[in-house]
Order: sequence, then structure tokens, then C-alpha cells
Amino acid sequence: MGLKTLEKITAALTSRPAELEQLRKQGKKIVGWLAYNIPEEIIYALGLIPIRVGQGGDGRLVEVGARHISTKNCVFVRQVLGQFAEKTDPYIKQLDLVAIDATCIQLYRLEELINFYFDYKTVVLGVPRNFATKEGHEYFRKEVEHFTKKLELFAGVSLEQSKLQEAINIYDGIREAIKTLYSYQSKDNAPLSWRDVSAVINAGYNLDRLRYLELLQELIKEVEEKTSEPQENQAIEARVFLSGSLIPPGDTKLIDIIEQLGGRIVGDDLWSGLNFFLNLEIKEPTPFGVADAYLDRIPHASLPYLDLPTDGRLANLKHQIQQFNADGVIYHTLRYCDAFTFKAGETKDVLKNVPFLEIHTEYSGSDFEAIRTRVEAFVEMIKNKKEIAELV
Amino acid sequence: MSLNKNFFAGVDVGSLAAKSVILQDGEIFATGLVPSGVNSVESGLNALNLALETAGLKKEDLTYIVGTGYGRVSAPYANKAVTEITCHAKGTNYLHPTVRTIIDMGGQDCKAIRIDKDGAVIDFAMNDKCAAGTGRFLEVMAGVFKVRLEDLGAIALAATDTVPMSSTCTVFAESETISLVARGEKPENILSGIHHSIANRIAGLFSRVGIESDVFFSGGVAKNIGMKNAIEEALKVTIVKPEIDPQLIGALGAAVLARSFSKKEGLWA
Ligand code: SF4
Repeated sequence: MGLKTLEKITAALTSRPAELEQLRKQGKKIVGWLAYNIPEEIIYALGLIPIRVGQGGDGRLVEVGARHISTKNCVFVRQVLGQFAEKTDPYIKQLDLVAIDATCIQLYRLEELINFYFDYKTVVLGVPRNFATKEGHEYFRKEVEHFTKKLELFAGVSLEQSKLQEAINIYDGIREAIKTLYSYQSKDNAPLSWRDVSAVINAGYNLDRLRYLELLQELIKEVEEKTSEPQENQAIEARVFLSGSLIPPGDTKLIDIIEQLGGRIVGDDLWSGLNFFLNLEIKEPTPFGVADAYLDRIPHASLPYLDLPTDGRLANLKHQIQQFNADGVIYHTLRYCDAFTFKAGETKDVLKNVPFLEIHTEYSGSDFEAIRTRVEAFVEMIKNKKEIAELV
Repeated sequence: MSLNKNFFAGVDVGSLAAKSVILQDGEIFATGLVPSGVNSVESGLNALNLALETAGLKKEDLTYIVGTGYGRVSAPYANKAVTEITCHAKGTNYLHPTVRTIIDMGGQDCKAIRIDKDGAVIDFAMNDKCAAGTGRFLEVMAGVFKVRLEDLGAIALAATDTVPMSSTCTVFAESETISLVARGEKPENILSGIHHSIANRIAGLFSRVGIESDVFFSGGVAKNIGMKNAIEEALKVTIVKPEIDPQLIGALGAAVLARSFSKKEGLWA
């Protein structure tokens, strides 16, 4: 929609691989990471360059990955493995170390494989299954401490509290900015869409974090200037909320379909989306402080079932649906992503009367038409309901 | 027949058949049903022309046309396209306002649809991952027994026993059936097993959507009496008797929608 800062972010992203090449020549080291529970702040504070890796939506790369892993693993994991096998991705080929957490056991497997087959140096961060207990917290504290030690050895420096505090400040700034952008994109007459914000988030995982924070603040200013007053008599919209398995960069199938059929995405609780930036408050600039804060966030679905009334993931989902004024939820699950697939039924039950559509898919185009029909009927269903509500 | 009255048409192009319904004054005026060919535009037009011929009308006499079914995406003759889910809901509600749950079994997919008193969709689930529970599957089975598709259900009704069928994948079920025949099982008992295994699969579709009576069975497969009985047993419901050929429900819903859209667009008062 012609936002100058979005163009700047795209330009920064285009020049980033070359920039990283230069930085590596100057002795800087790059740490690729995945997934929900890797504390980037620590990587950054040690003077290392964190880059989140992993893309989706490419059936060919899934096949390449599948030569090394069973097809009963989710397509995301298979594709990322394919990316490591091919080493053509401009970031993956420049990684000096890969940090992976064991939030989802499938990613843990990925770590073993890239280390074994493709000679990447790796570090694993253990994640407790029972994160609500005292023992869980103690375990995770030790894990983060251990993780920090390994990174210190790799970086050749020790973690300084002041540096960690600096990093925390930058990341806090990023988290706040992303939340602000999310609230803007969901407004009527917003000058940027959910898709734009999603692209901004994905870009951020590759850019220098300080530079990224500056760009985000610039973007917010520009958005504030360009948000116009909503007009009367807006056309009836189907405001869609996305939930479920991650939708990484490159995987645009479902998003394209929703938009083509006149749905408007207004929010999400994906770990590749907004959830990653929510409810993270580091009270003390130490590995323990970081560990506690990460564990107290909204839990990832791959961790065990909680009591329904106290499951923070579901409470957050309900809250976000309201906040973004969504009309219905499209719950996206990847094949063999048991974590989210098994929770679809319970999520639907908890949301009671909120229109709910589950889309079970993978990275191939063969189900394009089938998804299209479902999403189209879902959008019709929502619009129909709103039309009737307007009449009475 | 007065030509100054408005006529509305719905055209439903499915994978095995194309259907059309023309409405006038809220009454079904004419219908058309033809097998689908490879060209979905042509199939839709054939079905429409058949109804027009029966009605003694020309295409120009139609005020509004709504296309549905998988052929809706390429239906240049239609003013608007609507999914078959919404159309089955509307069509069913038009004829049977007390229905709240629809099972639609077509040529290539199977749907569970929940609707409210106005025929608005509340929830739905769809199975199109495989041919199980579809017209295509039954067509293959009819081929194995060398009987007409239409007779399949009636044959199953004569069963004295139900031979369990473990495969619902068309390819495996076909070979499983052949081996059951070789083992000397009676065709009617095997067919009963096939119908029950499909019905159980359909019951699974309803686990998330739920069932509320009255229940209606639409789509081409709804004409299969064996299937109807097996579903009634699996879902523990009684299916409402259809007033018209249940295969035409999608096209009827499309015609009903054509009427509302044209009114909304101010084409008539
Ligand atoms: S949570 Fe699901 S999508 Fe993510 S890595 Fe695990 S299985 Fe794959």
C-alpha cells in the first residue's frame, strides 16, 4: 500500500546476505536458530548474530529433506532439512552454529540430522514437558545456563549482565512495536495489512536487531500518519483469525486463498506470528531470569495438555479473537504436526460459537481446490451471518 | 406460462453429473440432469439447456443464474458462483425447513453440514482426501459386481449378514472385495459391509460438527437405499424423505440464491 518504510525493510533484507558475508569476514559468527523457546537475547548479547532459519511452502525441498527423515514428520521439518541438505539458502549456507530447542520433538530430530549428515555445529536447548511446575522451571533454568555456557565457549566471550540488559531492551522494543503494528493492521482503513505485518516479522528475523527496531519505529510513525478515519457504510467483511501450526515464510497457499476469496486476516496466535512477541517479561538480566520469562509465556501446543481452564494458549486465543474483532477462526494444521492437529477438537470446543474451520494441509498444491471450497464456504457463512445480523 | 414473470436458475456441476433447476414464483419450474463430461462449462450448459427445453424457455428469459459445484469456478454463463455447501443448505431449507443437519454425498466428496432455521450454514466438515464414501467409490464397487450403480443399494438390502470390510480406500477395497468374492461370500453380504463401512466413516465426519435433527441426505448417493439405511443405523437418526430427486438439491439451492441475489441487486421488486 505504498508505505516507504516497507520498501526500506525489503531493501534491507535484499542486501542482508551480502552484509552477513562481510561481517563474517570480519570475524563475526552467525547462529541460526529454531524455534519457540530459543532466547535470542542471549545470542545477541554475546556478540553473535542470530538468524531464525526455516521456510515453508516448497514441495520440492520437502522431498529433498525426506531422503533423510521419515515422511511421518511434518512438512516444515522435512523442508528445513531439505534446505540444510541443499545449502543454497543465502542464510543457511552462512551459519556457523545452529541452535535448536526441543519444544517440539520433531525439531529436536532435525538437530540430530543436520549435525550428523550435514556437519553443522549444533546446540540443543532442552524444554521441560511440565513447564508449570517448580521442577520444570528448575530444569529449564539449568538448560538455559548450560546453553549460555556453550555459546560463551563458541563466542569466546563471557556473558556480561550489561550486554544482556542492552539486548533485552532492544528485544522489548521490538516486541512492543510488533504488538502496535498488529493493532494497527486490524483497524478499518489500515494502511497496512496482516500480510504486510507478517512480512515485516519474517524480515526481522534476518536483519540486524538494532537496525530492525529503528525501522519498526519508523514504520509505526508512517502508519500513524497514514491511518485515515474509517468511512461509514463499510462493506461487509469476513474477518479471519489464523491459528494452529506455524506458517513460515514461503508458505502462502492458505493466505493467498483466504485473500482471493475476499476474507481479511486480522490476527493470529501462531508462533510464527504474534504469539512469539507476547507476554515475555524478563525481570532480571541473567540466564535464570531469561529462562523464567520464556517459560512463563503462552505455551506452545507441542507441550502437554493442560487443564482446559488454565491453559494459557487457549485463554490467549480467546482474548486475541476479541481484541482483533474476528468473525471466525481458520485453524491450520500441517500433516503430521500432531501437536496442533490433536488440539484442534479441543480448541473448537473451547471456542464454542465462534465459527471454526480446520484446514489440514501440506506443502503441495494438490489440495488447492479442496481448501478453496472450504474457505469459500467459510467466508460465505460468515458474510451471510453478518448480513442477517445487519438486517435485524 | 407468462413470460413477464421472473425465472431463476441454479446450475450445479459435479464430478459425475451436472444438474440444473429453474424456479419461477418460488416453484420448481423445470430441472435438468446430465452426466458430466471433461469440459465443465459444456456440462453445465447441457444441464441448463435441458431444463430450458423442458420449460420451453430460452436462456435470455432467465433473470439470474447461480453456478455451484466444483464447476462453479469456470461457469461463464452464471451471474455469480456460490459453494455447494451454501447451496445444499439453501436448497434443503427451501424444501424442508425443519432440517438442521445435512449429509451430502456426491461423486467425489462427502460433506456434513449443520444449518439454522433460515438455512444459513453454522458449521461444516468435508471429506475429499479419498474416494471413500463417494459416488466414485460405489461406482467402482458396482463395476466389481457387474451391476448397475442404481441397483447397488437395493442388493445390499437383501443381505442376511454383513461381511466386515476393513478398507475404505477404493484401491484396497476393490481388491479386498475380489478376495471376499473368491472366498465365497455372498455379494449382497459384501455390499452390505461396504455400505456400513462408508456409513461409519461418515459418522466420523460428524464427530466435530455434531448432529441435530431433522437430518437430510442429499447428493447423488442419497438415492442409494442401502446407503441411506446404513447411515441411519450408524448415526442413529431417521432421514427425512426427500420431496425431489436429492441429487438436484445443490442446483435448487443455487436457484433459490439466484432469486435473492437478483432481488438484492434490484433486478426486480
Ligand atoms: S510443532 Fe508442528 S509444525 Fe512445528 S515442528 Fe513440530 S510438528 Fe512441525
